Amino acid sequence: MNRSEIVTAVVRSIGEVLQREVTDVTEDTRLFDDLQLDSTSILELLMAVEDTMDVEVDPEGLDMDSFRTIGTLADYLQGLVDLVATGNAG
Amino acid sequence: MTRESTDYLRRLKAALTGDPATPLAFLCNFEVETQWARHHVGLPAPAAAPTAVVQRMEELGILLAGPDDLIVVKNAPDEGYLRYLAEDLGVGLPAVLVPERTSEDRPTAEDLLNSPLALDRLSRLGRLGTRLIPMGTSESEEKLAVSAQVPLAVPDAATFERVNSKIYSRRVTEELGLPAVPGWCCETLGELRQALAEAAAVPGSVVVKDAYGVSGKGLVVLDTPAKADRLLRLVERRAARTGDDRLALVVERWIDKRADLNYQITVDRRGGVRLDFVKQALTERGVHQGHLMPADLNAGQHALLRHAAAEVGGRLAADGFFGVAGIDAIVGADERVHPVLEINARFNMSTYQGGITELFHRPGDVALARHYPVRPAGPIGFDDLRRALGTLLSPAPGGRVIVTCFGTVNAGATNTGAVNTGAADAGGDGPRHQGRLYTLLTAPDHDRLAALDGAVRAALAGVIQPREDS
Repeated sequence: MNRSEIVTAVVRSIGEVLQREVTDVTEDTRLFDDLQLDSTSILELLMAVEDTMDVEVDPEGLDMDSFRTIGTLADYLQGLVDLVATGNAG
Repeated sequence: MTRESTDYLRRLKAALTGDPATPLAFLCNFEVETQWARHHVGLPAPAAAPTAVVQRMEELGILLAGPDDLIVVKNAPDEGYLRYLAEDLGVGLPAVLVPERTSEDRPTAEDLLNSPLALDRLSRLGRLGTRLIPMGTSESEEKLAVSAQVPLAVPDAATFERVNSKIYSRRVTEELGLPAVPGWCCETLGELRQALAEAAAVPGSVVVKDAYGVSGKGLVVLDTPAKADRLLRLVERRAARTGDDRLALVVERWIDKRADLNYQITVDRRGGVRLDFVKQALTERGVHQGHLMPADLNAGQHALLRHAAAEVGGRLAADGFFGVAGIDAIVGADERVHPVLEINARFNMSTYQGGITELFHRPGDVALARHYPVRPAGPIGFDDLRRALGTLLSPAPGGRVIVTCFGTVNAGATNTGAVNTGAADAGGDGPRHQGRLYTLLTAPDHDRLAALDGAVRAALAGVIQPREDS
């Protein structure tokens, strides 16, 4: 998955949690302030991301900084995807 | 004007110490539930440090304590705010103790343990009869009580932890024969698997909660079978990785509700139980927003709550607890009351409002205790806020506003106007920190209360820009 696909997957997952289409967003869009996600949505968002991207997320390996913006969450997921790619290559 | 302790405080002291005049040292450790949670396996979740706002909420204790008491806080309260409380409201203020060595990433009790001067002052008060009263006892407050030789006015950490689990709440509710929300207690992965399977057999959503979850955290709503499968997968994967299948969760059916309620009981050392008050709790997506008084209930609903209060209080006493317990309840859309959603056997948000409502909530009036999210560009003084609120702070036929916690407005801000991580954002209009203003609004009726609420929002918008989602 490239960066653009990861960001698209994050946006789609947020839309699923919020139960509405999420439009007009960038990597700088803030999850809590701009999109009104709240702390009760975090686990649900991670569960949605797992299904959308077919990756395994470890919530306890994350800290709240990763949930600041669409871009910071994409950063974390990019790391996961790269790790899987490296593992497969090895 | 009053400079004496409120009746509310005197009753609390009598219940906990046998004497309504016992001096107390208040330690409003809002993070205590996190301490208890460390011993239990909850929902998988990212690590979250306590926010600056939560830490500054300890200032709420100033309005609970009285002139014979002491309150320990990490940050010295604003002098202008203390003047407002003493001179405008006539409140009898406690002495304030700020440990000389504080750190944002540890409980205030640990600050005290690392601050010889503050510890010595507490010890001297202890020798004169002061008792230590934390919001709830964890190992840190136990250590402090021993180190400072100030006896706890409340039970030990093990007792608090035992009776504050949502699993305890569910079991007690069922054993007492009170109408419980249908649900399951899950102490192993197998029990969670079984609960979710049984839940799936009946249409409707369920909510899964940590046994030790604080407001708005540690819960997930499962409204489709796919979401239940996803959660189970996450929990199974963690159990496989750690080799530990223990859990501390409850699974409950989602109930369509008309209102959330919060009522408080005080259990005295001899097992006597008093129902202190019933309030309507305002929540938004599981996060506490405020309390409305009086609660809109009929006589039968009140009677059920009185019965539940006596039963739960008696059971808490039998299980070794004494002190304050807040109980969350709901009124369903069908007007049926579920009198025990959870027992929080510690100080609750509404505990701190007891004294100020006694002084300013007149019979027949309505009152709203609520907070306003605010975003100042840098630290502001109470006098800045006073100018912004203007006459709203004065008694008037349309009602008045009382500021119940000011320190939280500046939570996250530094003296230079810069901001801490975790409580800040850099919006298009420059960096702003996220704070909260805690208030009590009183008015003769609901219409004027709503108007007052709107006037506060408008007044704040001019100076400290409340968040749009507030």
